Amino acid sequence: MSTISTALRNFKEPTKEQLTQIFFSLPSAGLLDGLEKTDGQYVEKMDINAVLSLGVQGLEESYAGKLHLIAPYLAFASLDRKSVRFTIPLSTIRRVERLNARAGIYALSLSTWHGMKIIVQLTSLRPTADHFCSLLRDALKIELQRGQMKLVKGFTKTCYSEALVSETSTVADNEREDGSLISEEKEHAAPRESTYHGGLGLRFKFPGDPKKLREASKIKLWTTYLREHGRNLTLLRYPQCTRLVQVGLPNRLRGEMWEVLSGSMYLRFSNPGYYEDLLKKNIGRTSTSTEDIEKDLHRSLPEYAGYQSEEGIAALRRVLQAYSFKNPELGYCQAMNILAAAILIYMSEEQAFWLLEVLCDRLLPGYYAPSMHGTLLDQRVFESLVQRCLPIIHDHFQVVDVQLSVASLPWFLSLYINSMPMIFAFRIVDCFFCMGPKVLFQVGLAILKINGEKLLQIQDDGGFLNLMRDYFASLGDSAHPNSTDPRARAITRFQELLLVSFREFSVITDDMILSERRRFRNEIIHSIESFSKRSAVRNLKTLGRFTKDQAGFIYDALYKAMCVVPPPAPVNPPPILLTANDGAEDKPETRIGLKTFQYFLSEIATWARNEKIVMNGFQQRVDREVAEHEFIDRLFFFWDTSCRGALSFQDLVSGLDGVMFNDLMENIEWFFNLHDKNKDGFLTKDEVLTLSESFLFIFRYEVGDAYLGAVSRFMTNAFEYGDALLPQAEEGTENKSETGAEPPSPRVIESNQPYLNLATFRMVVLADEVLESFFETDLSASFRLEPVPDAEIPASANGLLGDLWSTIATDSNKKMFHMFTDEIGKTIGKHQVIHRPSIGRYTKLEEPKARESLLTPSMRKSPSKASLTGSGSASASTATLAPSSSSTLTVDVKGASAKASPQIPASASLSPMVQAVNARLMERTPFAIDDAKDDEDETDDELEGNDNDDQVMDEVDAFLEAHDSGLTDADKEVANDLIHAEPLK
Amino acid sequence: MLNAAQSFTSVRLATDSASGSVDKSVQVKLVLLGEAAVGKSSVVLRFVSNEFQANKEPTIGAAFLTQKCRLEDRVLRYEIWDTAGQERFHSLAPMYYRNAQAAVVVYDITKASSLEKAKSWVKELQRQANPNIVIALAGNKLDLVQPSVSSPGAASTSESEDEADDATATPGETPGALGEPASLRQVPREEAQAYATEAGLLFFETSAKTGEGIVDIFTEIAKKIPIEHILAATRGTGRPGAAGSRADGARQEGGVNLEENAAKSRDACNC
Repeated sequence: MSTISTALRNFKEPTKEQLTQIFFSLPSAGLLDGLEKTDGQYVEKMDINAVLSLGVQGLEESYAGKLHLIAPYLAFASLDRKSVRFTIPLSTIRRVERLNARAGIYALSLSTWHGMKIIVQLTSLRPTADHFCSLLRDALKIELQRGQMKLVKGFTKTCYSEALVSETSTVADNEREDGSLISEEKEHAAPRESTYHGGLGLRFKFPGDPKKLREASKIKLWTTYLREHGRNLTLLRYPQCTRLVQVGLPNRLRGEMWEVLSGSMYLRFSNPGYYEDLLKKNIGRTSTSTEDIEKDLHRSLPEYAGYQSEEGIAALRRVLQAYSFKNPELGYCQAMNILAAAILIYMSEEQAFWLLEVLCDRLLPGYYAPSMHGTLLDQRVFESLVQRCLPIIHDHFQVVDVQLSVASLPWFLSLYINSMPMIFAFRIVDCFFCMGPKVLFQVGLAILKINGEKLLQIQDDGGFLNLMRDYFASLGDSAHPNSTDPRARAITRFQELLLVSFREFSVITDDMILSERRRFRNEIIHSIESFSKRSAVRNLKTLGRFTKDQAGFIYDALYKAMCVVPPPAPVNPPPILLTANDGAEDKPETRIGLKTFQYFLSEIATWARNEKIVMNGFQQRVDREVAEHEFIDRLFFFWDTSCRGALSFQDLVSGLDGVMFNDLMENIEWFFNLHDKNKDGFLTKDEVLTLSESFLFIFRYEVGDAYLGAVSRFMTNAFEYGDALLPQAEEGTENKSETGAEPPSPRVIESNQPYLNLATFRMVVLADEVLESFFETDLSASFRLEPVPDAEIPASANGLLGDLWSTIATDSNKKMFHMFTDEIGKTIGKHQVIHRPSIGRYTKLEEPKARESLLTPSMRKSPSKASLTGSGSASASTATLAPSSSSTLTVDVKGASAKASPQIPASASLSPMVQAVNARLMERTPFAIDDAKDDEDETDDELEGNDNDDQVMDEVDAFLEAHDSGLTDADKEVANDLIHAEPLK
Repeated sequence: MLNAAQSFTSVRLATDSASGSVDKSVQVKLVLLGEAAVGKSSVVLRFVSNEFQANKEPTIGAAFLTQKCRLEDRVLRYEIWDTAGQERFHSLAPMYYRNAQAAVVVYDITKASSLEKAKSWVKELQRQANPNIVIALAGNKLDLVQPSVSSPGAASTSESEDEADDATATPGETPGALGEPASLRQVPREEAQAYATEAGLLFFETSAKTGEGIVDIFTEIAKKIPIEHILAATRGTGRPGAAGSRADGARQEGGVNLEENAAKSRDACNC
């Protein structure tokens, strides 16, 4: 079982526009399901310089910054991008007024649905401001038409903050009782507060002592803030907001604030009912993810009372399952259970579902993906930051060979929830949602810095872990227990940790994280890929006769093929078909379809690609394209031993093993079996023809006539032998026909009737030296395992430089360059295109003579004599089978066989068919018409495209004139050179 | 206890005193691997605190536990890395099994596919880990099946009495047809035993629930571990027990199969 993923190659750096969206916590376009309904109505994005102030005078200073219209949102960030910002859905804005323009001031007053007034002074030039206003007007109009405006009030009822500001006195009273008298509080609360969403904490208590956490005063502060600066959808984030978050969010408000700060609230707002629908649609569905989820449900914060009850477990199950249905590619990753369990204490299932979405998609990108590349990448980034900021610790870790990730990986993966006591971890999570992913790094660095001295004593991973465990357990202790100053004594280690994090490591910015990620991404991708390659090779059930390196080459070819021609994504059957009885969906195993296989084979088998050697005087290169032929399709299904319509890595290895190590007899048998569709040990007449087509396909670019002659002889002989053996077969048919349909004539055979057995086939093949040598060595040798240069695999762009480079070195640019040099080559008459032969055994144009000894004189009819002497019309026609026309030739054969095969008497069908084939070949051969001598010419100069024809023809003509005497040694040499021509690199 | 192998002890005591250590214990790094939910964490929990319960500590990356184990005169301090079983954590595993002197690869005898996964872990360990690593294969959840006729065979003799107890206890819990619980078994003992012999592994069938066979794993590993090796390495670095394992592992890795180790260590670094 192995899954091979090329997903990491598809990574694209976010565009500037996307970065802005990420900054404002806006949902990515695909997630704005509601927006798609308004197709056609699209308002362009615009930003404008502005100064923000609040309608209440003297409350806050004004902040200069940029106002962004990103319909359906309006967003603002102060110039430092830190102090003040907001993201507000347009549908919450009820009134926009142009304030009395005094002395050229252009100011707008925006009133929200709850009456808050935001004053923005547009400081750009007037026409720009006018344009902005008109866009804003359009966007607002659309929101009104979509009916979003009406939804706002209903939605805000689900937010605790509304209850908080509207009934401050009573709620605050309850708050004081919170934790001590839950049941009483519930009696009070239930009728009034039932509309707002809340987490398990409302029922099972919130972790920590509310008194110690000073819940009541925090709530008071927040109530004041929310009343003046907006709340939930309309929250304005002033410096005060960040400060309040840093001292810890009050438990009851926490869930909602996480939603707002992370931006998941916008998703919930624009996708009402989505969560319930998703669960309903997928009810009863099971998958590997749901299985994994089941295993972990009871291992998620088990010490919390809520998860000792079925209610909590069921909520956790639904949220995790819903997410795995929404994003089946990611599914479920251990550690998500911890996250989900943690946030469910503070928020409803629906809130938690959307927050999980934002976490996995935006805040912790790639952390939980099947390859966990995000986790690995951020661990690498963290290591590099440690090296930069705490070099002594980093060096010590190097000396004693301690791996940082052993401890830090769970920190990042579970946002410290799994490492610290919950009350502390949640405060870090508060900051994380408010200030972004850099918080994880800042806290991590601070932990190491604070424990610096002890860390320099540790000698191994175990010691490191134990130290960290002890430290986390002591976070509630005083940081300065021996201080004489009682205020210093009161500072806990956790407070110290936050202080160090945000003071000393404020140098760590989001931009720095982004650029560090860019720096290490390729390294991580490379190591993940080589890891999965090694395990894929290791996990093969059998290597066959391949070495591991060879299997690695097969893997590389497969990987490259998957990059170039991605296999279709496995389609999940509709949920209705997946009842619980169906059991789990199969474990994923990467399989490729026919298209990818064609590319794969073209990497390995010389005849599965069309290679043109192009010379234009400046360069010599090989243009390679994937060949398509029924023979390749046949091979695909031949190797698909489990009949899945797709091949796994193992299938490919086993398939190649079945042909690459064969000797003469095995190869003949292999080729025979490949064409024996019903595996009865006989080829039918049609199959003999198909087999001949396969020959012609493989030999299509060979120099000289040797192979064509051989195939032609093969056909003649095969049919003669077949017919000679027919009487016995006839008896069988007659016996059968007593019960079945009677054949009209004894000499007529059914198209599906067994015709040629292996022994006869072998005899016919061995009768010909060319075919014999093909089966003896050339067939196996035509499969070549070579290292795939990594550069050929499309890689992700690496940062800015990577972008630049990739725009220079794209395939299309290369093509342009090639076309350009070709054009020049043509004008100076040096342009030349040759097909590289797949086998290239016969570099001379002489053809080995057929083995006469094996054949009776009657069987040695004219075609087998076709040789250089070129006597007699029949032999001439065979001899002119030019390789250049072989690609069309196969089609002709097909046409001929279709006409000839079914009901024509065997003996009669033979020669007309071969003649028909030959005749058609003759028509297609340009030189056969011009000059009889051409049958001896090397006609491997494929004429590519009509515009080249004349020049190449001219060249050939000139060549012929110069060497009028016919084929000379020099000619042979030229042919030889062409065959061995290598691309200039 | 001590007198049994006095002659060996003197050697080791000398070693210990040379390194200036009061603690005679030898540190052994052991890693648990296996498919998800085969009971790795339960096996550890049974060994470390002799209990069986729903896992208190969720395994993210790996859980780290220690347990001392006395074998004749030796005291081994097991540093146990209990890894996450989910497939996608696989790429992190090298971080935990690097330098390990012992590994317990666990499968579930009621789930055939888990043995396949176990085999692939063994393959990986034999190729990528410390070349002297002692690997034990443990078929867990023995309590779910009828104790098979052959079960007392290879298990340690000292535990045979306990096994007899279990043998009577288990059918009691699952009343009814004797054949029914046996049908839960998907991996015949003989098959796994044969594989283990072929691959050169210690082999046990265990039940973390009843405790059967658990201690045996760690005892047998302790017997097989080249302790002198570890101690010698410790002395070489001049540090007490704690660092022995690492130096040992590093030294051995340096000697063998450099290329693969280089690749591996890079993987590990990126974790």
